[in-house]
Amino acid sequence: MFLAAFTSSGPREVSPDATLLSRLLQKDVSAFEQLYDRHSRLVYGLVLRILQQASTSEEVVQDVFLQLWRNADQYDSSRGPFVPWLCTMARNRALDHLRLKSERQRRREDQPDELPSVVVAPEYEKALDEKRRAERVRALMASLTPQQKKAIELAYFEGLSHSEIAATLKEPLGTVKSWIRNGLLRLKEGLRATT
Amino acid sequence: MKNCDQFRELIEAYALGSLDPEERAALEAHLATGCPDCSKAVEEARWLVSQLAYAAPEAAPSDMLKGRLMQTVRTEAQSQSKPQVMPAKSSIPFWLWAGVAALLVFSVYSAWNTHRLNDEIRQANERAAALRDEHEKTEQELALAKREAMILMDPNSVKIALKSGDAKGPQLEAKWHSEWGVVVMGENIPMPSPHHVLQLWFIPKKAGEMPMPSMMIRPDANGKFVLLVSNPPESMDATKALAISEEPEGGSPWPSNPPRYSGGVS
Repeated sequence: MFLAAFTSSGPREVSPDATLLSRLLQKDVSAFEQLYDRHSRLVYGLVLRILQQASTSEEVVQDVFLQLWRNADQYDSSRGPFVPWLCTMARNRALDHLRLKSERQRRREDQPDELPSVVVAPEYEKALDEKRRAERVRALMASLTPQQKKAIELAYFEGLSHSEIAATLKEPLGTVKSWIRNGLLRLKEGLRATT
Repeated sequence: MKNCDQFRELIEAYALGSLDPEERAALEAHLATGCPDCSKAVEEARWLVSQLAYAAPEAAPSDMLKGRLMQTVRTEAQSQSKPQVMPAKSSIPFWLWAGVAALLVFSVYSAWNTHRLNDEIRQANERAAALRDEHEKTEQELALAKREAMILMDPNSVKIALKSGDAKGPQLEAKWHSEWGVVVMGENIPMPSPHHVLQLWFIPKKAGEMPMPSMMIRPDANGKFVLLVSNPPESMDATKALAISEEPEGGSPWPSNPPRYSGGVS
């Protein structure tokens, strides 16, 4: 099922992730290790950017990959690519960790986590390799106004709401909303142009 | 009520998770109506937001993290790959069952044996107690016999003949030692009447004083008896004579019958 997301687009080649995920469904340890090697730097970088603390970030990354190992057969993988889904799960976990101060409230590693929705790739999306994709996203973020970039980063990496960002930046709520929306639309256009 | 265009303005922020609660609730209510355009827009916005992950600088986690993960994964993979076999008969070797059975038999035997040993110990203790009582009794009898022998053998003991009131009757003999007491012996003594015993009396020298009651005895089947009075109620000097009368069982405080046997203390 998961494999279909990578094979149903005609000319696209089957991604290495698709092959590895199909083996992961068979509890192939080697496939899991290759997936980890392919994506752990991206996931850990994201979580570290959110939590700003190495040991806690490693705990979260461990949780994320164990979820992947244990619940691979539960993914509705027919509609969305793997990496956005993995990053969404990692971000949700990291923000949970950031928000919940009490250790008791934190999810335990062995508790089944609520899995994120499948991230559906838009029609214009093409399978760029990870390196090129990262370079493009960073370039687009750098092209935003400082206010747009700051507001989006506060929302994405710190999990703040519009009102919280407005209070943090001491700017009107409507202005913050505009910064975020316009920044995301510019990012969207930039990615569309790239592909 | 907002139309789709107004909701569309919220969709990127919704995917980002930055909408305030009221706006988020309103948008989710609209999405719940099944609006296809807004639903598709949400999907695209989620993908767009997911791309922000690449904005974070990549970083390498420690090798220890990978080590921990792989160890956990390998352990879980091994446990899942092993079939969950119910303990079959063949999974436990016969010798183990035999060992368990032998252990069970041994346990039952041990419990039974323990009970038996406890019972034997209890019986042995009872026998030991009985022997101890018997031994003490024997020692007391031995002590009395020794005392009787000392009284009878000691030259300082005073011999007292107790003659029967019947001329044909037997004669008893007593020996009195001033320190060790009095021994009275007799042979061929007729048994007292039923429910009666023979009681020894010490007759004081002082006129008008009543006879002093002493010990009681029955002759054995052969008509013999030996009576030891370790602590006579009167001293030899103050005693005029010894006498034995037949008295009811339990004895009497004073003579209720004439003396059967009597003899003066010289």
